[in-house]
Amino acid sequence: MSEKSQDKLLRMRRRLLQAAGWGSIGALLPTIGCGGGSDPAGDSTSSALGWSSSRTTTTTTTNALPNTGLSGRVVVVGGGMAGAAVAKYLRLWGGSGVSVTLVERSASYTSNIMSNLVLTGQRTLSSLQYKYDNLASRYGIARVQGEVVAIDPVGRKVTLASGATLAYDRLVLAPGVEFIYEQGVGIAGLESAAAQARVLHAWQAGSQTTALRNQITAMPKGGVFVLTIPAKPYRCPPGPYERACLVADWLKKNRPGSKVIILDANPGITAEVHSFTDAFMNVHAGVIDYQPNVVIHGIDTSTMTVDTSIGKISAKVINAIAPHRAGRVVTAAGLADQGGRWASVNQLSYESKLAAGVHIIGDSAGTAQPKAGHIGNQLGKVCADAIVRAFGGLPPDPAPVTNSACYSPITMETASWLTAVFAYDPSTQAMAAVADSFREAAARDGGNFSNMSKWFNALMSETFS
Amino acid sequence: MRVLLTAAALGLSLMATSAGAQTAPPPGRLLASNCYQCHGTNGAGPGFDSIAGKSVDEIYKELREMRSENPGNDIMKAHARGYTDEQLRQISTYLSQQRSTSSGRD
Repeated sequence: MSEKSQDKLLRMRRRLLQAAGWGSIGALLPTIGCGGGSDPAGDSTSSALGWSSSRTTTTTTTNALPNTGLSGRVVVVGGGMAGAAVAKYLRLWGGSGVSVTLVERSASYTSNIMSNLVLTGQRTLSSLQYKYDNLASRYGIARVQGEVVAIDPVGRKVTLASGATLAYDRLVLAPGVEFIYEQGVGIAGLESAAAQARVLHAWQAGSQTTALRNQITAMPKGGVFVLTIPAKPYRCPPGPYERACLVADWLKKNRPGSKVIILDANPGITAEVHSFTDAFMNVHAGVIDYQPNVVIHGIDTSTMTVDTSIGKISAKVINAIAPHRAGRVVTAAGLADQGGRWASVNQLSYESKLAAGVHIIGDSAGTAQPKAGHIGNQLGKVCADAIVRAFGGLPPDPAPVTNSACYSPITMETASWLTAVFAYDPSTQAMAAVADSFREAAARDGGNFSNMSKWFNALMSETFS
Repeated sequence: MRVLLTAAALGLSLMATSAGAQTAPPPGRLLASNCYQCHGTNGAGPGFDSIAGKSVDEIYKELREMRSENPGNDIMKAHARGYTDEQLRQISTYLSQQRSTSSGRD
């Protein structure tokens, strides 16, 4: 767009404002709406639109950020898919006046997406690690490696384990999940650290992923691998089935005669029913034994036996995906009002329903949207947009849309996919799937498998670069 | 044409917002960000086809076509089914205003 047509648009926009009777209100708002910018009319409006900046950006430095006239301080806790995205877009869209501090205990993020391919030896764990350097250098996000131990939503500050405090105008919590192992709540028999080291979840990529890989490669021919799946909601709905398929395919090729038994707490396959039914009944027939509606009474790690509603099953490897809940920073602050596990949020802004100024995104948020990285990135953007609007005195977008997408390996060379668009339903005040968009691949194939890498690289670049 | 479409979309956005309309973000900005996980920030890659900086009509027509076809094994055809005409138009308008190179953010 030329300068001339931008000017024309701005004139048109002012006329619309005046016609709608907002011209006078707008004139009263500059100190509220534009954070005290000295130019209340033309320039701050045009920069707030973000056009000039997004069209003239030529460098990768923080100088490229627009000056929107907005200002505010945001602390983001958790540098996963949602946390990294919200931090990036707060700066991209909020501009240089919106300061963002990202608090994350790890030096880098290890992607859960693609981590099942570490189990088959097709990827290394280090190839799934992403540092925060780009977010810091390109967007001027302040990075604090540490842990938040207390939140003061009234005084609007957080306290770190180091004793330091960070003041905020808006706080975003994106801690992911915590696995449940307490007696009486988690799987009986897995309460001790020793038991948890023997029966892994490997549902948070990292050392457990490597450890599970080692357990699998140590299996003999004809060994049994048991995978337990918790009742939904859990992180990454198709993930457990994908894992079963990949482990089965690897065992088939490397440890003939082995079996994979899936003990699913759910009444049936929770995602990609067509693809995984085909996988269990045909592709991996004779290797995968899928059992729905299974109640786990307990796991005895000394005999490696699972006591279930369908009997006792002994295995060489038991991979129990423990049930999980919102990350500790959310539960400790008393914000996980949904059964003590997930946090209710305003689904336009992801602001907690219990604490003003505190937003909760990603897996910890209790919505109908899946707990997964691709959509976690989008929740970050919806939240960033809402916070930027709030700094300008505006309500959140009344009709947010998010989307979920993923590719799922069915074998070591083929994959399927799943996608859904979610839209805000004002009658329920909740995000709901747009039915016609909720689909899975017609068939697994090698094209999907190669597109999976393309998708993953794009998603990680969008989130961390 | 592009200017007219933008102006039309802008008008809609102004009507949808209230007193603080001074700082309303460009229409379609949040909606179009649904594309970025696969097409890169601002649609400018890296990822699947670059979608930034094409004409509004080209993007809109392509999205409408994809939405009308049987998805089969094409994830984008399934995805396109999640949006209304008006949403596709807002997405197309916003993406058409983005630079086709990734501004070094690749």
